[in-house]
Amino acid sequence: MLIEINSLRLSLSGVPILHDVQLSLREGEIYGLLGPNGAGKSTTIAAALGLLVPESGTVRVLGRDPLREPRAVHARLGVLTEQGGFYDWMTAERYLGFFARLYGGSPIASALGDRLARVGLTPRRGQTIGSYSRGMRQRLGLARALLTDPPLLILDEPTSGLDPRGRRDIHDILLALADGGVGILLSTHLLDDVDRLCQRIGIIVEGRTVAEGNVVDLLGASSSPQRFRLRLTAPPPQAEIGNITVLASDGEWWTVDIDPAWNPEAVWPDLFCGGWPITEIRRDSGGLEDLYLALTERTAA
Amino acid sequence: MPILLIAGKEAGELLLSVRGLAWLLVFSVVLSAFSLLLVSDTELSLLDNAQVVYDMTGIATALGGLLALIVGVDTIAGERERGSLVPLLLTTVSRDGILLGKLGGIAVAWVVIYVLAAPYLWAVGSTGQNLSDGLLGLALLGTPVVLGFGFLGMGLGAWLGTARTGLLIGLIVLVLAASPLLLGPSLRQTAVGRAFDAVNPFSAAINAYDAVIIDSVSVAAQATNLAVTAAWFALALWFARASFCRIAR
Repeated sequence: MLIEINSLRLSLSGVPILHDVQLSLREGEIYGLLGPNGAGKSTTIAAALGLLVPESGTVRVLGRDPLREPRAVHARLGVLTEQGGFYDWMTAERYLGFFARLYGGSPIASALGDRLARVGLTPRRGQTIGSYSRGMRQRLGLARALLTDPPLLILDEPTSGLDPRGRRDIHDILLALADGGVGILLSTHLLDDVDRLCQRIGIIVEGRTVAEGNVVDLLGASSSPQRFRLRLTAPPPQAEIGNITVLASDGEWWTVDIDPAWNPEAVWPDLFCGGWPITEIRRDSGGLEDLYLALTERTAA
Repeated sequence: MPILLIAGKEAGELLLSVRGLAWLLVFSVVLSAFSLLLVSDTELSLLDNAQVVYDMTGIATALGGLLALIVGVDTIAGERERGSLVPLLLTTVSRDGILLGKLGGIAVAWVVIYVLAAPYLWAVGSTGQNLSDGLLGLALLGTPVVLGFGFLGMGLGAWLGTARTGLLIGLIVLVLAASPLLLGPSLRQTAVGRAFDAVNPFSAAINAYDAVIIDSVSVAAQATNLAVTAAWFALALWFARASFCRIAR
């Protein structure tokens, strides 16, 4: 387990912020940490980084206590903070070299070049950071997080403010890293990112973990059906297959409900095999957004 | 090694960033303006040579303290607000290592002011008279006073969390401490003035400048004043370290 947080309670200046937070992240997994503003996501991350002292509960990162062994934890951890934190007068190459030396490594040009190439900044390596766009800064922050080839990345809003191409590029980098066994804790408000990247999520509301687990299982556990709009080149051969119910059709678009207990990704192949001429699939409801809204509203109420 | 790296980064922030260079330009203009005033006074025979070197040394100390305070606040609270402090805290460098590196940055700022002030001291002293006394006083007594204000800025920045509030409080302390530069000798001879002088590192420095530059007393005879400035240095360093260690994010 790369991160294991149990029953975490934490106060800041006497104000309770976290009441009961659970989080577990395994190797090769992308974990989405979700929650409304002020729910305690950043505080949870700060506790995982050893920057804040919990009142009770346990925090283990890379098998160690980050408060007792911060340097050992930080040596094997890559972090991208929401603000980034750059020195505008430095070039990207000099900036990475500075941090590589701080981590005790020798800033070999080829290694720095490799990190810059991975995030697509090679053509801008000699430019001062002050001239970088927000997207380029995010990429540079990711390159900094990757400096030590860490087995664990903690990323706070890595795609906020990026254009669609930039977001897609960052997604591809993160998916490739997870394929290579890197565990990634992703704190974000962008449910599209979570939908595309995360296998597991944790939702924090008012300092409590209200849901944690596999995305598909959590969606399946919700009572509302998962509604999709399917674009078909011809009417479906049969109106009902197993756990799918056809509700309506509007020209080539057909609205269907999938039983909440079923994973839609496992259903589509059955439909293709069943002769459904599907050309496009759009989620209508019952997805991550509905789950998130239901959980956060229920807790707030 | 990490300490030198961080100190080098801090020096780069001052010498290579637009913000740092703008501060140095402002200080050069201020030193030039005071130099012109002091040279005019000597031309009109209002002040003697030793007196203007003494005045210029005090002004350089005050400006050094101001720059150190600004750099000190910015290096903690400013970096925190810009989000660049947390990545440093998450490296494998210890808190004390980061703190020492940042202290090194303040020392570089003082060296820059010292070097900037040297030609002005030379110029106001009618081509070099009393220059060595001025430079010696500035090095021995100005250094702990100025660095102390840098540490105070770091401590306030870490403790209060915002650069604006830290700078405001630091400036109030600096103005209060530097007030003997503006007060007449009679006010400083009152009971309150004497008590203030006894604990004020700035007073200790300018009293020592007075003795060394104007009265030609040996620096070795300034043990009390040296002790006051050294105590200020140690107290400010302790405050900076205690505040920096409690920074969470």
